[in-house]
Amino acid sequence: MNEAFAEAVPLTGTAPTEAFTELYERTFPRVYAYVASLLRDRSAAEDVTAQAFERAYRKRRAYRPGRGSMDAWLFGIARNAALDELRRRKRRAVLEVDPEDTDARAPEEHAELAVRRETVRAALASLDGQERDLIALKFAGGLSNGEIARVLRMSESNVGTRLHRTITKLREACHD
Amino acid sequence: MTDVLTAIDDALDTGVAADDDPLTRELQELALVLREDAPQATPEFRERMDWRVESGFQKPRGSRRAWWQPLLQPAAALALTGAVVLVVALAAGGRSGSGGDDSGGSSAGPALATDDSGGGGRAAESDSGGAAAGPALSAPKESARSAGGADQAAATVLPPSGGGFAPGRSNRKIERSVALELEMPVDEMARVADQVTAVTNRYGGFVLNSSLSTGNDGAGGDFDLRIPSNRLRSAVRDLSALAEVRTQSQTGRDVTREHVTAKDRLRAARAERRSLLRRLEVATTDEEAEAIRRRLDLVAGEINGLRAQLRDLRLRTDYSVVTVTLASKDGESGGAGGGSFDDALGDAGSLLVSVAGWIVRGLAVGLPLGLLALAGWLVGRVVRRRQRESALA
Repeated sequence: MNEAFAEAVPLTGTAPTEAFTELYERTFPRVYAYVASLLRDRSAAEDVTAQAFERAYRKRRAYRPGRGSMDAWLFGIARNAALDELRRRKRRAVLEVDPEDTDARAPEEHAELAVRRETVRAALASLDGQERDLIALKFAGGLSNGEIARVLRMSESNVGTRLHRTITKLREACHD
Repeated sequence: MTDVLTAIDDALDTGVAADDDPLTRELQELALVLREDAPQATPEFRERMDWRVESGFQKPRGSRRAWWQPLLQPAAALALTGAVVLVVALAAGGRSGSGGDDSGGSSAGPALATDDSGGGGRAAESDSGGAAAGPALSAPKESARSAGGADQAAATVLPPSGGGFAPGRSNRKIERSVALELEMPVDEMARVADQVTAVTNRYGGFVLNSSLSTGNDGAGGDFDLRIPSNRLRSAVRDLSALAEVRTQSQTGRDVTREHVTAKDRLRAARAERRSLLRRLEVATTDEEAEAIRRRLDLVAGEINGLRAQLRDLRLRTDYSVVTVTLASKDGESGGAGGGSFDDALGDAGSLLVSVAGWIVRGLAVGLPLGLLALAGWLVGRVVRRRQRESALA
Protein backbone atom coordinates (compact mmCIF):
# COMPACT_ATOMS: atom_id res chain seq x y z
CA MET A 1 0.00 0.00 0.00
CA ASN A 2 2.73 2.39 0.95
CA GLU A 3 4.66 1.72 -2.23
CA ALA A 4 1.61 2.43 -4.31
CA PHE A 5 1.01 5.55 -2.33
CA ALA A 6 4.58 6.71 -2.69
CA GLU A 7 4.43 6.25 -6.42
CA ALA A 8 1.30 8.34 -6.65
CA VAL A 9 2.66 11.26 -4.69
CA PRO A 10 3.71 14.02 -7.03
CA LEU A 11 7.17 15.38 -6.47
CA THR A 12 5.90 18.94 -6.51
CA GLY A 13 3.83 18.64 -3.39
CA THR A 14 3.10 21.25 -0.80
CA ALA A 15 6.14 21.59 1.41
CA PRO A 16 5.43 20.98 5.08
CA THR A 17 6.34 23.61 7.55
CA GLU A 18 9.84 23.58 8.88
CA ALA A 19 8.60 23.11 12.41
CA PHE A 20 6.80 19.96 11.45
CA THR A 21 9.79 18.62 9.57
CA GLU A 22 11.90 19.24 12.61
CA LEU A 23 9.35 17.47 14.78
CA TYR A 24 9.30 14.55 12.40
CA GLU A 25 13.09 14.28 12.31
CA ARG A 26 13.28 14.40 16.06
CA THR A 27 10.49 11.99 16.91
CA PHE A 28 10.09 9.54 14.05
CA PRO A 29 12.21 6.70 15.52
CA ARG A 30 10.61 7.07 18.93
CA VAL A 31 7.05 7.25 17.60
CA TYR A 32 7.62 4.17 15.51
CA ALA A 33 9.22 2.35 18.44
CA TYR A 34 6.29 3.24 20.69
CA VAL A 35 3.64 2.23 18.16
CA ALA A 36 5.46 -1.00 17.30
CA SER A 37 5.81 -1.83 21.00
CA LEU A 38 2.11 -1.38 21.41
CA LEU A 39 0.98 -3.19 18.28
CA ARG A 40 3.66 -5.88 17.96
CA ASP A 41 3.11 -5.92 14.24
CA ARG A 42 5.63 -4.34 11.90
CA SER A 43 3.22 -3.70 9.03
CA ALA A 44 0.51 -2.31 11.29
CA ALA A 45 3.08 -0.22 13.13
CA GLU A 46 4.22 1.33 9.87
CA ASP A 47 0.69 2.12 8.81
CA VAL A 48 -0.21 3.59 12.17
CA THR A 49 2.99 5.62 12.40
CA ALA A 50 2.39 7.06 8.96
CA GLN A 51 -1.20 7.74 9.88
CA ALA A 52 -0.15 9.48 13.10
CA PHE A 53 2.29 11.78 11.35
CA GLU A 54 -0.22 12.56 8.65
CA ARG A 55 -2.91 13.39 11.20
CA ALA A 56 -0.43 15.55 13.08
CA TYR A 57 0.50 17.30 9.86
CA ARG A 58 -3.09 18.02 8.95
CA LYS A 59 -3.93 19.19 12.45
CA ARG A 60 -0.67 20.99 13.09
CA ARG A 61 -2.44 24.33 13.38
CA ALA A 62 -4.56 22.91 16.20
CA TYR A 63 -1.50 22.40 18.38
CA ARG A 64 -1.48 24.71 21.43
CA PRO A 65 1.86 25.03 23.21
CA GLY A 66 0.05 25.80 26.45
CA ARG A 67 -1.32 22.28 26.53
CA GLY A 68 2.03 20.54 26.60
CA SER A 69 5.03 19.87 24.46
CA MET A 70 4.75 19.11 20.78
CA ASP A 71 6.18 15.65 21.44
CA ALA A 72 3.42 14.88 23.92
CA TRP A 73 0.83 16.14 21.44
CA LEU A 74 2.23 13.94 18.70
CA PHE A 75 2.43 10.90 20.94
CA GLY A 76 -1.18 11.50 21.95
CA ILE A 77 -2.16 11.31 18.30
CA ALA A 78 -0.01 8.23 17.75
CA ARG A 79 -1.47 6.56 20.82
CA ASN A 80 -5.04 7.20 19.67
CA ALA A 81 -4.24 5.82 16.23
CA ALA A 82 -2.59 2.77 17.75
CA LEU A 83 -5.47 2.10 20.11
CA ASP A 84 -7.93 2.48 17.24
CA GLU A 85 -5.89 -0.03 15.30
CA LEU A 86 -5.83 -2.38 18.27
CA ARG A 87 -9.56 -2.19 18.59
CA ARG A 88 -10.06 -2.58 14.88
CA ARG A 89 -7.94 -5.62 14.56
CA LYS A 90 -8.90 -7.04 17.93
CA ARG A 91 -5.30 -7.37 18.89
CA ARG A 92 -5.97 -7.84 22.55
CA ALA A 93 -4.89 -11.44 22.36
CA VAL A 94 -1.70 -10.45 20.61
CA LEU A 95 -0.91 -7.97 23.33
CA GLU A 96 -1.00 -10.69 25.90
CA VAL A 97 1.41 -13.05 24.18
CA ASP A 98 5.10 -12.74 23.76
CA PRO A 99 6.06 -9.88 21.53
CA GLU A 100 7.25 -10.55 18.07
CA ASP A 101 10.92 -9.89 17.54
CA THR A 102 10.59 -6.80 15.43
CA ASP A 103 14.22 -5.94 15.59
CA ALA A 104 16.43 -8.48 14.01
CA ARG A 105 19.74 -8.46 15.82
CA ALA A 106 23.07 -9.28 14.42
CA PRO A 107 24.07 -12.93 14.89
CA GLU A 108 27.22 -11.96 16.67
CA GLU A 109 25.21 -10.20 19.36
CA HIS A 110 26.45 -11.01 22.78
CA ALA A 111 24.75 -14.12 24.10
CA GLU A 112 24.31 -12.77 27.58
CA LEU A 113 22.63 -9.66 26.28
CA ALA A 114 20.39 -11.75 24.06
CA VAL A 115 19.31 -13.86 26.99
CA ARG A 116 18.61 -10.79 29.02
CA ARG A 117 16.52 -9.31 26.27
CA GLU A 118 14.49 -12.46 26.01
CA THR A 119 13.98 -12.44 29.75
CA VAL A 120 12.76 -8.86 29.67
CA ARG A 121 10.45 -9.58 26.77
CA ALA A 122 8.98 -12.49 28.61
CA ALA A 123 8.54 -10.33 31.69
CA LEU A 124 6.88 -7.66 29.58
CA ALA A 125 4.31 -10.20 28.50
CA SER A 126 3.25 -10.58 32.13
CA LEU A 127 2.25 -6.93 32.31
CA ASP A 128 -1.22 -5.76 31.48
CA GLY A 129 -1.94 -3.52 28.53
CA GLN A 130 -1.88 -0.24 30.44
CA GLU A 131 1.43 -1.11 32.10
CA ARG A 132 2.94 -2.00 28.78
CA ASP A 133 1.62 1.24 27.33
CA LEU A 134 3.35 3.12 30.13
CA ILE A 135 6.61 1.26 29.62
CA ALA A 136 6.42 1.85 25.88
CA LEU A 137 5.82 5.58 26.31
CA LYS A 138 8.71 5.86 28.73
CA PHE A 139 11.39 3.67 27.18
CA ALA A 140 10.42 3.29 23.52
CA GLY A 141 8.89 6.75 23.18
CA GLY A 142 11.49 8.37 25.39
CA LEU A 143 8.99 10.75 26.95
CA SER A 144 9.49 12.47 30.26
CA ASN A 145 7.06 11.76 33.07
CA GLY A 146 5.45 15.13 32.49
CA GLU A 147 4.91 14.37 28.83
CA ILE A 148 3.50 10.95 29.64
CA ALA A 149 1.13 12.64 32.06
CA ARG A 150 -0.06 14.84 29.19
CA VAL A 151 -0.55 11.89 26.87
CA LEU A 152 -2.38 9.78 29.44
CA ARG A 153 -4.22 12.77 30.91
CA MET A 154 -3.19 12.09 34.47
CA SER A 155 -1.02 13.86 36.99
CA GLU A 156 2.74 13.64 36.78
CA SER A 157 2.98 12.23 40.29
CA ASN A 158 0.49 9.55 39.35
CA VAL A 159 2.60 8.70 36.35
CA GLY A 160 5.71 8.46 38.57
CA THR A 161 3.94 6.18 41.01
CA ARG A 162 2.62 3.92 38.31
CA LEU A 163 5.95 3.87 36.52
CA HIS A 164 7.79 2.90 39.67
CA ARG A 165 5.29 0.19 40.45
CA THR A 166 5.40 -1.15 36.91
CA ILE A 167 9.16 -1.26 36.55
CA THR A 168 9.44 -2.92 39.94
CA LYS A 169 6.89 -5.46 38.84
CA LEU A 170 8.87 -5.97 35.65
CA ARG A 171 12.05 -6.56 37.60
CA GLU A 172 10.31 -9.13 39.77
CA ALA A 173 8.92 -10.81 36.68
CA CYS A 174 12.45 -11.02 35.29
CA HIS A 175 13.53 -12.93 38.39
CA ASP A 176 10.60 -15.34 38.29
CA MET B 1 10.50 6.30 44.75
CA THR B 2 11.50 9.68 43.38
CA ASP B 3 15.17 8.77 43.78
CA VAL B 4 14.66 5.58 41.82
CA LEU B 5 12.88 7.40 39.01
CA THR B 6 15.59 10.05 38.95
CA ALA B 7 18.24 7.34 38.81
CA ILE B 8 16.44 5.69 35.91
CA ASP B 9 16.25 8.99 34.05
CA ASP B 10 19.97 9.53 34.73
CA ALA B 11 20.77 6.12 33.30
CA LEU B 12 18.66 6.83 30.23
CA ASP B 13 20.48 10.15 29.78
CA THR B 14 23.98 8.81 30.23
CA GLY B 15 23.44 5.30 28.95
CA VAL B 16 25.18 3.92 32.05
CA ALA B 17 23.72 2.12 35.05
CA ALA B 18 25.98 3.29 37.85
CA ASP B 19 23.84 3.77 40.95
CA ASP B 20 25.38 2.66 44.25
CA ASP B 21 22.26 0.87 45.34
CA PRO B 22 22.19 -2.58 43.71
CA LEU B 23 18.43 -2.60 43.41
CA THR B 24 18.32 0.81 41.78
CA ARG B 25 21.20 -0.15 39.52
CA GLU B 26 19.30 -3.21 38.46
CA LEU B 27 16.31 -1.06 37.57
CA GLN B 28 18.62 1.25 35.63
CA GLU B 29 19.96 -1.71 33.67
CA LEU B 30 16.42 -2.86 33.04
CA ALA B 31 15.52 0.60 31.73
CA LEU B 32 18.51 0.56 29.39
CA VAL B 33 17.57 -2.86 28.07
CA LEU B 34 14.04 -1.75 27.50
CA ARG B 35 15.22 1.26 25.54
CA GLU B 36 17.76 -0.67 23.53
CA ASP B 37 15.19 -3.34 22.79
CA ALA B 38 12.73 -0.82 21.37
CA PRO B 39 11.67 -1.68 17.80
CA GLN B 40 13.37 0.23 15.02
CA ALA B 41 11.91 1.23 11.71
CA THR B 42 13.34 -0.29 8.61
CA PRO B 43 15.31 2.02 6.29
CA GLU B 44 12.70 1.46 3.57
CA PHE B 45 9.90 2.66 5.78
CA ARG B 46 11.95 5.61 6.92
CA GLU B 47 12.63 6.50 3.31
CA ARG B 48 8.96 6.32 2.42
CA MET B 49 8.04 8.45 5.39
CA ASP B 50 10.70 11.02 4.49
CA TRP B 51 9.17 11.25 1.06
CA ARG B 52 5.64 11.66 2.39
CA VAL B 53 6.70 14.33 4.82
CA GLU B 54 8.56 16.20 2.12
CA SER B 55 5.52 16.03 -0.15
CA GLY B 56 3.27 17.33 2.59
CA PHE B 57 1.30 14.07 2.84
CA GLN B 58 -0.38 14.65 -0.47
CA LYS B 59 -2.95 12.06 -1.28
CA PRO B 60 -2.90 10.41 -4.67
CA ARG B 61 -5.56 11.55 -7.13
CA GLY B 62 -8.83 9.76 -6.65
CA SER B 63 -8.16 8.92 -3.05
CA ARG B 64 -9.66 12.10 -1.70
CA ARG B 65 -12.75 11.63 0.32
CA ALA B 66 -16.03 12.59 -1.28
CA TRP B 67 -17.37 15.96 -0.15
CA TRP B 68 -20.28 14.32 1.63
CA GLN B 69 -18.25 11.82 3.63
CA PRO B 70 -17.36 14.20 6.44
CA LEU B 71 -21.10 14.71 6.91
CA LEU B 72 -21.30 11.13 8.12
CA GLN B 73 -19.20 11.97 11.14
CA PRO B 74 -21.39 12.02 14.27
CA ALA B 75 -20.58 15.59 15.19
CA ALA B 76 -21.10 16.81 11.65
CA ALA B 77 -24.32 14.88 11.35
CA LEU B 78 -25.55 16.35 14.62
CA ALA B 79 -24.61 19.85 13.53
CA LEU B 80 -26.30 19.33 10.18
CA THR B 81 -29.46 18.03 11.84
CA GLY B 82 -29.42 21.00 14.18
CA ALA B 83 -29.05 23.37 11.28
CA VAL B 84 -31.96 21.78 9.44
CA VAL B 85 -34.14 21.94 12.55
CA LEU B 86 -33.09 25.56 13.03
CA VAL B 87 -34.04 26.47 9.48
CA VAL B 88 -37.37 24.71 9.78
CA ALA B 89 -38.04 26.38 13.13
CA LEU B 90 -37.10 29.75 11.73
CA ALA B 91 -39.32 29.20 8.74
CA ALA B 92 -42.20 28.27 11.02
CA GLY B 93 -41.43 31.25 13.20
CA GLY B 94 -41.38 33.44 10.14
CA ARG B 95 -44.81 32.28 9.16
CA SER B 96 -46.22 32.98 12.59
CA GLY B 97 -44.29 36.20 12.66
CA SER B 98 -45.87 37.40 9.46
CA GLY B 99 -49.18 36.37 10.91
CA GLY B 100 -48.33 38.47 13.89
CA ASP B 101 -49.01 41.58 11.87
CA ASP B 102 -52.59 40.58 12.01
CA SER B 103 -52.14 39.03 15.37
CA GLY B 104 -55.77 38.91 16.28
CA GLY B 105 -56.48 37.00 13.13
CA SER B 106 -54.28 34.13 13.96
CA SER B 107 -55.37 33.92 17.52
CA ALA B 108 -59.00 34.21 16.73
CA GLY B 109 -58.86 31.52 14.11
CA PRO B 110 -58.81 28.42 16.27
CA ALA B 111 -61.36 29.76 18.69
CA LEU B 112 -63.76 30.71 16.00
CA ALA B 113 -63.02 27.61 14.01
CA THR B 114 -65.05 25.63 16.47
CA ASP B 115 -68.01 27.84 16.05
CA ASP B 116 -69.68 25.88 13.33
CA SER B 117 -68.38 22.52 14.32
CA GLY B 118 -69.96 22.08 17.71
CA GLY B 119 -72.62 19.51 17.50
CA GLY B 120 -74.15 20.25 20.85
CA GLY B 121 -76.78 17.78 21.73
CA ARG B 122 -75.48 16.93 25.18
CA ALA B 123 -77.71 17.84 28.01
CA ALA B 124 -76.45 20.62 30.15
CA GLU B 125 -75.82 19.83 33.76
CA SER B 126 -75.98 22.02 36.75
CA ASP B 127 -74.40 21.21 40.06
CA SER B 128 -75.73 24.15 41.97
CA GLY B 129 -79.15 25.43 42.48
CA GLY B 130 -80.58 22.15 41.34
CA ALA B 131 -81.67 23.57 38.02
CA ALA B 132 -82.49 20.70 35.74
CA ALA B 133 -81.13 22.34 32.68
CA GLY B 134 -81.75 19.46 30.28
CA PRO B 135 -85.43 19.51 29.43
CA ALA B 136 -85.96 22.94 30.90
CA LEU B 137 -83.38 24.43 28.58
CA SER B 138 -84.79 22.96 25.43
CA ALA B 139 -83.93 26.03 23.44
CA PRO B 140 -84.84 26.55 19.80
CA LYS B 141 -82.73 24.66 17.31
CA GLU B 142 -80.89 27.75 16.16
CA SER B 143 -80.06 28.73 19.68
CA ALA B 144 -78.90 25.26 20.62
CA ARG B 145 -76.57 25.18 17.65
CA SER B 146 -75.12 28.45 18.68
CA ALA B 147 -74.55 27.23 22.21
CA GLY B 148 -73.09 24.01 20.96
CA GLY B 149 -70.55 25.92 18.99
CA ALA B 150 -69.82 28.13 21.87
CA ASP B 151 -68.93 25.41 24.28
CA GLN B 152 -65.92 24.36 22.28
CA ALA B 153 -64.67 27.89 22.07
CA ALA B 154 -64.49 28.03 25.83
CA ALA B 155 -60.76 28.60 25.74
CA THR B 156 -61.30 32.20 24.80
CA VAL B 157 -64.40 32.73 26.83
CA LEU B 158 -64.47 34.34 30.22
CA PRO B 159 -65.20 31.87 33.00
CA PRO B 160 -68.75 31.75 34.29
CA SER B 161 -69.28 34.06 37.18
CA GLY B 162 -71.27 31.86 39.47
CA GLY B 163 -69.98 28.40 38.82
CA GLY B 164 -72.15 25.41 38.26
CA PHE B 165 -71.70 25.40 34.49
CA ALA B 166 -68.52 23.66 33.69
CA PRO B 167 -66.74 24.79 30.53
CA GLY B 168 -67.10 22.41 27.66
CA ARG B 169 -70.68 21.51 28.41
CA SER B 170 -73.42 21.81 25.85
CA ASN B 171 -76.16 24.39 25.81
CA ARG B 172 -73.99 27.07 27.24
CA LYS B 173 -75.00 30.57 26.34
CA ILE B 174 -72.08 32.73 25.28
CA GLU B 175 -72.11 36.37 24.44
CA ARG B 176 -69.48 37.01 21.83
CA SER B 177 -67.90 40.07 20.41
CA VAL B 178 -65.23 40.40 17.78
CA ALA B 179 -63.31 43.54 16.86
CA LEU B 180 -61.55 43.76 13.52
CA GLU B 181 -59.36 46.54 12.28
CA LEU B 182 -58.82 46.45 8.56
CA GLU B 183 -56.20 48.45 6.76
CA MET B 184 -56.41 49.50 3.14
CA PRO B 185 -55.50 52.30 0.78
CA VAL B 186 -57.87 55.23 0.91
CA ASP B 187 -59.14 54.68 -2.61
CA GLU B 188 -60.29 51.16 -1.68
CA MET B 189 -62.12 52.16 1.45
CA ALA B 190 -65.51 52.68 -0.15
CA ARG B 191 -65.34 49.35 -1.89
CA VAL B 192 -64.39 47.56 1.35
CA ALA B 193 -67.19 49.34 3.21
CA ASP B 194 -69.71 48.04 0.68
CA GLN B 195 -68.33 44.57 1.02
CA VAL B 196 -68.56 44.67 4.80
CA THR B 197 -72.28 45.29 4.45
CA ALA B 198 -72.57 42.62 1.78
CA VAL B 199 -70.81 40.02 3.91
CA THR B 200 -73.01 40.89 6.87
CA ASN B 201 -76.15 40.44 4.82
CA ARG B 202 -74.88 37.25 3.29
CA TYR B 203 -74.54 35.62 6.68
CA GLY B 204 -77.94 36.74 7.88
CA GLY B 205 -76.67 39.57 10.04
CA PHE B 206 -77.45 43.24 10.06
CA VAL B 207 -75.63 46.51 10.38
CA LEU B 208 -76.55 48.28 13.60
CA ASN B 209 -74.44 51.39 13.07
CA SER B 210 -71.98 52.48 10.45
CA SER B 211 -69.94 55.49 9.53
CA LEU B 212 -67.52 56.06 6.70
CA SER B 213 -65.21 58.89 5.82
CA THR B 214 -63.06 58.86 2.73
CA GLY B 215 -61.70 62.40 2.76
CA ASN B 216 -58.03 63.16 2.68
CA ASP B 217 -58.13 64.23 6.31
CA GLY B 218 -58.47 61.11 8.39
CA ALA B 219 -60.15 58.60 6.15
CA GLY B 220 -61.76 55.74 8.06
CA GLY B 221 -64.89 53.88 8.90
CA ASP B 222 -66.67 52.08 11.72
CA PHE B 223 -69.25 49.34 11.47
CA ASP B 224 -71.24 47.88 14.33
CA LEU B 225 -72.57 44.58 13.10
CA ARG B 226 -74.68 41.76 14.49
CA ILE B 227 -73.99 38.38 12.96
CA PRO B 228 -75.59 35.04 13.87
CA SER B 229 -73.23 33.33 16.30
CA ASN B 230 -73.38 30.03 14.49
CA ARG B 231 -72.04 31.69 11.34
CA LEU B 232 -69.56 33.94 13.06
CA ARG B 233 -66.45 32.05 12.00
CA SER B 234 -67.26 32.15 8.32
CA ALA B 235 -68.32 35.76 8.50
CA VAL B 236 -65.14 36.86 10.28
CA ARG B 237 -63.08 34.89 7.81
CA ASP B 238 -64.74 36.68 4.90
CA LEU B 239 -64.44 40.05 6.60
CA SER B 240 -60.75 39.43 7.25
CA ALA B 241 -60.25 38.68 3.60
CA LEU B 242 -61.56 42.06 2.53
CA ALA B 243 -58.36 43.88 3.43
CA GLU B 244 -55.19 43.54 5.43
CA VAL B 245 -56.01 42.82 9.06
CA ARG B 246 -54.16 45.15 11.38
CA THR B 247 -55.63 43.84 14.65
CA GLN B 248 -58.27 41.39 15.63
CA SER B 249 -59.61 40.56 19.06
CA GLN B 250 -62.51 38.71 20.47
CA THR B 251 -64.18 38.33 23.83
CA GLY B 252 -66.79 36.03 25.20
CA ARG B 253 -68.98 36.03 28.28
CA ASP B 254 -70.84 33.04 29.62
CA VAL B 255 -74.44 34.01 30.42
CA THR B 256 -75.77 30.50 30.86
CA ARG B 257 -76.46 31.04 34.51
CA GLU B 258 -78.49 34.17 33.89
CA HIS B 259 -80.39 32.33 31.19
CA VAL B 260 -81.20 29.34 33.37
CA THR B 261 -82.18 31.49 36.29
CA ALA B 262 -84.53 33.57 34.14
CA LYS B 263 -86.13 30.47 32.67
CA ASP B 264 -86.61 28.93 36.10
CA ARG B 265 -88.16 32.09 37.41
CA LEU B 266 -90.40 32.31 34.35
CA ARG B 267 -91.55 28.74 34.83
CA ALA B 268 -92.23 29.37 38.48
CA ALA B 269 -94.14 32.57 37.70
CA ARG B 270 -96.27 30.77 35.16
CA ALA B 271 -97.00 28.00 37.61
CA GLU B 272 -98.00 30.59 40.18
CA ARG B 273 -100.26 32.29 37.66
CA ARG B 274 -101.94 28.99 36.90
CA SER B 275 -102.41 28.38 40.58
CA LEU B 276 -103.79 31.86 41.11
CA LEU B 277 -106.23 31.43 38.24
CA ARG B 278 -107.46 28.17 39.74
CA ARG B 279 -107.86 29.88 43.11
CA LEU B 280 -109.70 32.78 41.45
CA GLU B 281 -112.20 30.37 39.96
CA VAL B 282 -113.08 29.01 43.33
CA ALA B 283 -112.90 32.28 45.26
CA THR B 284 -116.01 32.71 47.41
CA THR B 285 -115.72 36.33 48.46
CA ASP B 286 -115.02 39.56 46.59
CA GLU B 287 -112.14 40.43 48.87
CA GLU B 288 -110.46 37.13 48.20
CA ALA B 289 -110.98 37.52 44.46
CA GLU B 290 -109.60 41.04 44.50
CA ALA B 291 -106.48 39.93 46.37
CA ILE B 292 -105.90 37.16 43.88
CA ARG B 293 -106.29 39.59 40.95
CA ARG B 294 -103.77 41.96 42.47
CA ARG B 295 -101.39 39.11 42.88
CA LEU B 296 -102.08 38.00 39.30
CA ASP B 297 -101.17 41.47 38.05
CA LEU B 298 -97.89 41.32 39.86
CA VAL B 299 -97.14 37.87 38.51
CA ALA B 300 -98.07 38.94 34.99
CA GLY B 301 -95.68 41.88 35.23
CA GLU B 302 -92.97 39.55 36.45
CA ILE B 303 -93.64 37.14 33.59
CA ASN B 304 -93.41 39.95 31.04
CA GLY B 305 -90.15 41.17 32.53
CA LEU B 306 -88.66 37.69 32.50
CA ARG B 307 -89.76 37.14 28.92
CA ALA B 308 -88.09 40.36 27.90
CA GLN B 309 -84.94 39.37 29.76
CA LEU B 310 -84.88 36.01 28.02
CA ARG B 311 -85.44 37.62 24.62
CA ASP B 312 -82.61 39.99 25.28
CA LEU B 313 -80.33 37.19 26.38
CA ARG B 314 -81.25 35.13 23.36
CA LEU B 315 -80.57 38.02 21.05
CA ARG B 316 -77.18 38.63 22.65
CA THR B 317 -76.18 35.00 22.41
CA ASP B 318 -77.71 34.21 19.05
CA TYR B 319 -76.12 37.27 17.48
CA SER B 320 -72.51 38.20 18.02
CA VAL B 321 -71.33 41.78 18.11
CA VAL B 322 -68.80 42.41 15.37
CA THR B 323 -67.06 45.76 15.22
CA VAL B 324 -65.18 46.52 12.06
CA THR B 325 -62.90 49.51 11.88
CA LEU B 326 -61.55 50.62 8.55
CA ALA B 327 -58.25 52.45 8.58
CA SER B 328 -56.14 53.80 5.79
CA LYS B 329 -52.58 52.61 5.45
CA ASP B 330 -49.91 54.79 7.00
CA GLY B 331 -48.73 57.59 4.79
CA GLU B 332 -51.71 57.37 2.48
CA SER B 333 -54.44 59.03 4.45
CA GLY B 334 -53.48 62.61 3.90
CA GLY B 335 -52.29 62.13 0.39
CA ALA B 336 -48.71 62.45 1.58
CA GLY B 337 -46.06 60.42 -0.19
CA GLY B 338 -44.52 57.33 1.43
CA GLY B 339 -40.94 58.31 0.86
CA SER B 340 -40.40 60.93 3.51
CA PHE B 341 -37.49 60.85 5.94
CA ASP B 342 -39.87 59.93 8.77
CA ASP B 343 -41.15 57.01 6.77
CA ALA B 344 -37.62 55.88 6.12
CA LEU B 345 -36.84 56.11 9.82
CA GLY B 346 -39.97 54.18 10.63
CA ASP B 347 -39.12 51.52 8.09
CA ALA B 348 -35.60 51.25 9.44
CA GLY B 349 -36.93 50.86 12.97
CA SER B 350 -39.35 48.18 11.86
CA LEU B 351 -36.58 46.41 10.02
CA LEU B 352 -34.36 46.49 13.08
CA VAL B 353 -37.14 45.09 15.26
CA SER B 354 -37.79 42.41 12.70
CA VAL B 355 -34.13 41.45 12.52
CA ALA B 356 -33.90 41.40 16.31
CA GLY B 357 -36.93 39.16 16.37
CA TRP B 358 -35.29 36.76 13.96
CA ILE B 359 -32.15 36.72 16.05
CA VAL B 360 -34.11 36.01 19.23
CA ARG B 361 -36.01 33.24 17.49
CA GLY B 362 -32.78 31.82 16.16
CA LEU B 363 -31.22 31.92 19.59
CA ALA B 364 -34.28 30.36 21.18
CA VAL B 365 -33.92 27.39 18.87
CA GLY B 366 -30.19 27.39 18.34
CA LEU B 367 -29.07 27.78 21.94
CA PRO B 368 -30.73 24.61 23.28
CA LEU B 369 -29.64 22.77 20.17
CA GLY B 370 -26.12 24.03 20.59
CA LEU B 371 -26.05 22.96 24.22
CA LEU B 372 -27.45 19.61 23.23
CA ALA B 373 -24.82 19.23 20.55
CA LEU B 374 -22.10 20.25 22.99
CA ALA B 375 -23.31 17.72 25.55
CA GLY B 376 -23.47 15.06 22.84
CA TRP B 377 -19.99 15.92 21.68
CA LEU B 378 -18.61 15.73 25.23
CA VAL B 379 -20.34 12.44 25.93
CA GLY B 380 -19.16 11.10 22.59
CA ARG B 381 -15.62 12.13 23.40
CA VAL B 382 -15.68 10.36 26.75
CA VAL B 383 -17.22 7.26 25.25
CA ARG B 384 -14.70 7.24 22.40
CA ARG B 385 -11.84 7.61 24.84
CA ARG B 386 -13.12 4.79 27.01
CA GLN B 387 -13.53 2.59 23.99
CA ARG B 388 -9.98 3.33 22.99
CA GLU B 389 -8.68 2.63 26.45
CA SER B 390 -10.58 -0.62 26.48
CA ALA B 391 -8.14 -1.87 23.86
CA LEU B 392 -5.53 -1.89 26.62
CA ALA B 393 -7.71 -3.39 29.31
